[in-house]
Amino acid sequence: MSIGIRNIGKRFGSFVALDNISLEIPTGELVALLGPSGCGKTTLLRIIAGMEVADAGQITLSGEEATHLHTRERQVGFVFQHYALFRHMTVFENVAFGLRVKPRGERPSEAKIREKVMDLLKLVQLDWLAERYPSQLSGGQRQRIALARALAVEPRVLLLDEPFGALDTQVRKELRRWLRRLHDEMHISSVFVTHDQEEALEVADRVVVMNQGRIEQVGSPDEVYSNPATPFVYQFLGNVNVFHSRLHGPWAEVARESSSQATAFVRPHDIEILRESVTGAIAAEVAHVQAIGPAVRVELTHQSEVIEVELSRERHQQLGLANGDAVWLLPKSVTVFDAAGSEPRRWVPDWVI
Amino acid sequence: MSGRIANTESRGVRWLLCGIAFIFLFLFLVLPLAAVFSEALAKGWGAYLEALKEPDTLKAAQLTILIAMAVLPLNIAFGVATAWAIAKFDFRGKSLLTTLIDLPFAVSPVVAGLLFILIFGAQGWFGPWLAARDIKIIFAVPGMVIATLFITVPYIARELIPLMQAQGREEEEAAVSLGASGFQMFWRVTLPNIKWGLLYGVILANARAMGEFGAVSVVSGHIRGETNTLPLHVEILYNEYNAIGAFAAASILALLALVTLVAKTFVEWRMRRETEVLLAALPPERNAGGATPRINGNQT
Repeated sequence: MSIGIRNIGKRFGSFVALDNISLEIPTGELVALLGPSGCGKTTLLRIIAGMEVADAGQITLSGEEATHLHTRERQVGFVFQHYALFRHMTVFENVAFGLRVKPRGERPSEAKIREKVMDLLKLVQLDWLAERYPSQLSGGQRQRIALARALAVEPRVLLLDEPFGALDTQVRKELRRWLRRLHDEMHISSVFVTHDQEEALEVADRVVVMNQGRIEQVGSPDEVYSNPATPFVYQFLGNVNVFHSRLHGPWAEVARESSSQATAFVRPHDIEILRESVTGAIAAEVAHVQAIGPAVRVELTHQSEVIEVELSRERHQQLGLANGDAVWLLPKSVTVFDAAGSEPRRWVPDWVI
Repeated sequence: MSGRIANTESRGVRWLLCGIAFIFLFLFLVLPLAAVFSEALAKGWGAYLEALKEPDTLKAAQLTILIAMAVLPLNIAFGVATAWAIAKFDFRGKSLLTTLIDLPFAVSPVVAGLLFILIFGAQGWFGPWLAARDIKIIFAVPGMVIATLFITVPYIARELIPLMQAQGREEEEAAVSLGASGFQMFWRVTLPNIKWGLLYGVILANARAMGEFGAVSVVSGHIRGETNTLPLHVEILYNEYNAIGAFAAASILALLALVTLVAKTFVEWRMRRETEVLLAALPPERNAGGATPRINGNQT
C-alpha cells in the first residue's frame, strides 16, 4: 500500500515538530526515516499510524484520504521501540490478540487462530516460546514477537519506531538482516524510524534524512551517502572534516573557486597522507594514531585545527606514522557548499586522475 | 550475626531504633487491640455472643456493610476514570485535578460532614427543594453514603495514578493498532495490568469506609437501628456504660482491620512478585536456527 504525506505540520506548544513535510512512499518499499533525536521522525511515524493528529496537511493510504481515520481502521502494524507486548499474556495470546478482537463475524475459529499464530511464530522462529510470558524473553525475542503480533492482522503497512534501538549491537545486526528478509517475503510497505545511519543505509531501499522537522534529503542509501544534498546530511552520515574557505592555504582554493563564504567537506577516508610535500598539499602534524578494527584513524593538527584521516592498515604500515611526525595532506574528493541553499559541487583534484 | 557489616550503623543504634519502633507498635497498636478483645470477652463467650446478637448491633453491622458496598463501585468507577485521565491524557487543569483528589485527605472528616449538611440539610442550599419532593438525604442513609464517598474517594485513584503512569500508553496503543475497540482495550489490556493496584486501593478504601466516624457521625443523626453504623454504635453503647456491647461491636471492627491487613499483605506480595518477574534477569537468546545466525558462533 502506498502512503502519501502532504504538507504535514505539527507543533507541540511552541516547538515545531514537523514543518510542512511532503513525502510519497510507494507500495512495497522499505523506507527509513533517519535523523537525530528531536527531528520529528517518530512524530511523523505516529501521524501515519493515526496515534498523533497533524495540525495541518493530509495523509493518504492507497491514495485514499486517511487524515482523520482512527488507528484501528488504518490497518497498520506498529512496532514500538520498547516492544509494548501485553505483559500479562503469553506469547501465543499476544500474537493472537489482533485476531481475537475482531468483530464476531470476521473472527476466525479457535483452530484457525491457533494455526495462524503458530505459523507466525514459526516465521519469527520462536514457536518454542509460545507459552512463555514476555518478561521471560530477551529483548531480541520480544521484538520478534512484537513483529509477529503486528503481522497477525495482515496490515497493509508496517511501521516500526526505532525497532532495534533498545537492543545490543550484535542482536541488532542480526535483526536488521532478518527484517530486510521478512519485508521482501511479505510484500508489504514498511517505514522504520532510526537515528542510526548505519542501520538506515544497510536495510532501507530509500532513506529519508530529517532534521529539525524538515526533510533534508530523500534518496537511495548510496545517493545520500555519496551525494549529500546539504551540509547537515554530510555531517550526519559518517565522519567528515569541515574546512572554511579562508583558513586552509592551498586547500581553500577548492572552495575559493565558488565564493568567499563556501565550506568544504572532506571525508576522513578521502584524505591522503604523504611523507613529502607536493603542490596543493597542506602541512600537518600527527597527534594521535589509533587502530579501530580494519582501519587506522589518524588525528592530525594543522594550524591548531584537528583533521581526521582514516587509512587502511596496509597504507598505515607503509607510512609508519608516529606521534609528532610532520606530514602533508592531499584531498581525494571534496564537496563544496556555497552559501546556504545552493547546490553542492563535488570536486575531485587533478592529481587523483 | 557476625559482627559489624561495612556501612551499617553500630549494633547499639540498630537495637535502639528497632526497640523504639517495636515499643511504639506494642503500646499503640497491639495493646489496644488486645484490650478490645479482652474487654469484649470479660464476661465470657456467652455474654460476648449475646451482645453481638443484639438487634441494634446487627443492624449497625448491616448498615456498615451496605454503605461500603454502595460506596466501593462508585469509588472504583471514579478512581479508574480519574487515574486514566491523569496518567494517559494531557489536558488543561490536570494538575488542579491531581490536587483536588487529595482534598479529602486534607479536610477534617467533621468539616466534610458539615459541608454536606450545608448543601443538603433542611436549611441548606438544596434543603427546601429536597423537602418539597420528600427526599431525605441528611440524617438518612443517602447522606451517610455521600459522606463516606467523599472521605474514601482518593484511595483508588491515588493507588492507580503512579501505576498507570509507569506503564505508559504503549500497550493500549498497540491494542488499538491491532484493531481493538475502546472497551476491548480496557477489558483485555488495561484492567489486567492494573488489577492488583486496583484491588489494593479497594481494600484500603473499604477499610476506611467501614471505619469512618467523623463525617458519618455528623450526617447520620444517630437513629438507633436505622442510621447507626458500627463505629457510631460503639460510641453509643460505650456512653451507655454497656462495656461488653461496645467492645463486642468494636471487636468486629478490629477483626475487619486484621482481615484488611492480611489481604493487603497478600496483594502487596502479589504486586511485588509481578514486578520482580518483569525485572527478572533475561535468559540468553537461544540460537533459533537459520533466521538469525550467530556471527561469533565460536565464542564460548
